Amino acid sequence: MDVNRREILKALMGGTVAAAVATTGMPVGTAAKPEKFEADPTALGLMYDATKCIGCRACMPACQNANGLTPDVGGSGGLYLQPDTLNAHTKNLIKLYVAEDGHERSFMKQQCMHCADPACVSGCPMEALHKEPNGVVGWTSHLCIGCRYCQVACPFNIPKFEWDKFNPKIVKCELCRHIVGTTESEPACTKVCPTHAVIYGKRGDLLAEAHRRIKAKPGFYFEDHVYGETEAGGTQCLVLSQVDYIHLGLPKLGNQSPAAQTRKVSDFVYRGFLTPVVVYGGIVAIVRNRWKEHLKHAEHGGGEDTHGEEKRA
Amino acid sequence: MTGTWERCIRLREPLKTRPFLLFAGLAGLGLLIGLYREAVGLGYVTGLNDGYSWGLFKNWNVTALTALGSGGYAVAVLAWIFNEKKFHPIMRTAVLTSLLGYGTGMLALGFDVGRPWNFVFLADPRTWNHYSVLWEVAVCMTAYFMLALDVENMPPFLERMYRSGDPKKKDLSMKFFKFMQRTFPFGIALAFVLPSMHQSSLGSLMYLAGPRVNPLWQTPLLPLLYLLMAYILGFACVLLVLALSAYAWDLGWDAAIMGRLAQVMSWVTMIWLAFRFGDLVYRGVLVNALNFDKFSLYFLLETALILFPALLLLSKAQRETPGALFRLTFLLSLGGLLYRFTPTTLAFSPLGDYHYFPSTAEILMSTGFTALAVAVFLYAVKTFAILPASQGKIAAEEAMRPFDTL
Repeated sequence: MDVNRREILKALMGGTVAAAVATTGMPVGTAAKPEKFEADPTALGLMYDATKCIGCRACMPACQNANGLTPDVGGSGGLYLQPDTLNAHTKNLIKLYVAEDGHERSFMKQQCMHCADPACVSGCPMEALHKEPNGVVGWTSHLCIGCRYCQVACPFNIPKFEWDKFNPKIVKCELCRHIVGTTESEPACTKVCPTHAVIYGKRGDLLAEAHRRIKAKPGFYFEDHVYGETEAGGTQCLVLSQVDYIHLGLPKLGNQSPAAQTRKVSDFVYRGFLTPVVVYGGIVAIVRNRWKEHLKHAEHGGGEDTHGEEKRA
Repeated sequence: MTGTWERCIRLREPLKTRPFLLFAGLAGLGLLIGLYREAVGLGYVTGLNDGYSWGLFKNWNVTALTALGSGGYAVAVLAWIFNEKKFHPIMRTAVLTSLLGYGTGMLALGFDVGRPWNFVFLADPRTWNHYSVLWEVAVCMTAYFMLALDVENMPPFLERMYRSGDPKKKDLSMKFFKFMQRTFPFGIALAFVLPSMHQSSLGSLMYLAGPRVNPLWQTPLLPLLYLLMAYILGFACVLLVLALSAYAWDLGWDAAIMGRLAQVMSWVTMIWLAFRFGDLVYRGVLVNALNFDKFSLYFLLETALILFPALLLLSKAQRETPGALFRLTFLLSLGGLLYRFTPTTLAFSPLGDYHYFPSTAEILMSTGFTALAVAVFLYAVKTFAILPASQGKIAAEEAMRPFDTL
């Protein structure tokens, strides 16, 4: 009942907005894309089971080496790898959450979630950030203008920027796409993980495995929920944990991706670029008449004709 | 100060006055720091970080200040669509403020992006992401600047060429002007469609950020609210520039033009407020305005600065007093700029422990970009016939036929 009223209000509101903007045109979007977005089960991803992680951090130097990153030793006074957040030198970070009372604790592997419908890709002006055919969210250097809209858009705050570089790059996990399939069969982090806390595979298989674990131990995982199954339209990196995901830096997100929500607004207004074209035509028609009138008025009212250049010359 | 503005004049006054030197100096300083920033990267010069990766340059100089640069667009709607002929004498001033507002905005954008040289790949349409709001803003702003604003600002320049006395230049300027006259409706229609698109898209930019923008600002109506605010601030900017110019150079005061602009501005503000509050009520977040946390205080300040001046400007008595009109418009524009700025920065909370406050160098650069616009404005009004004036007030040179038709 309440839902119905909401729907009607929404439709009414939409109508008002449409009327208000139809004469002016609004944001972007050209072609129509299907709004029902299904995460691709064959897309590649990871599953991280925080309850299996022993916090050995072996995946961190492995990631550094595989990706040729300079180790961030800042937090340890220069002694060993110790980044405090993901940054321009860190694509993968194991964090420890300890509740204030000290009883509840969990590790967390922070990295790109490889969204099924990523906000960063949707915002990137030149498709420097893009979905590879296998689902990996990759970054192409020469197409990046360094606008950092991906950083503003990402709901997980993952892409990092080389703030101290002349020609800065965007740094984020690309699932070792430069070595997987050629010299390696899986990303560096899953390869070295001694407890198989993080495993690599297709999203569909990973999700099935996650549900198998939940079924085997009902009530063990937080709300029997796989984080990333539905969040932001689904992610290919899935997380299982005993503690509330919010403590692991994973925000509560709706089922629709921010990218799809933005497309909805754009498609509504632009109608496949029809709106701007129609508005343009209408304005040309109006201004043409005004312009003729204006020139006539200038000729008579101004006392000099429009060919006054001879007079002045 | 009374009079009717019917013509455009060039001020006959030396360029190198003290204010001009001050603004030119600030601009020079900003650009010098900008060169340093290009050499060493953004991190050393600005307060930007991985949480707040957009700061003054994008959020203030582009998102907020290009709304002030919408004067040419807003006044042109009155002059050409609603056919209010009395606005033609102020069109040159209006389109100049737009050119400068957008010019400095794009300059700021150039210094803000990390790898501007990769813009060359934008020439290849295969790289375009049509779904990117930022792509739309970038392409559409550039197109507006190059195809519409430049052309709209041509007449005073052509007039100057014509006056130079060189027969070749004279011929060329007249040819170009004739071409402009023939194609004018097609050109000016672009000057409506393009800013409508990118001024609303500037709002959509933050819509993609989802729940990280405080619910008092985050709404699917952002594009509409940003667009309407561009009209309000566009009118405000033209009003403020004309009022200051009239005061500085004794141009007279056309109460009909100024009063009408303020009236339309206050009406649009009422429409804006209706959408703003309707949306807050509909989404059920209006109560957040009374939380008295920092967001609620920003909201109350913004609303007060927008609501009260606009309400007062609905009164004819206020609009007819030049001082009151100036002060109220100034306050309203502060509120409007705050609204355009807040969702991008003040109401934006990234995940994790990040803080942003612009560095001194960043503030100097940002100020420098704006100072550059002021310096170029001072140069332009003393070189070309731009400002409106009532008869015989000051030492000036009038616009001439046929160029004064535009």
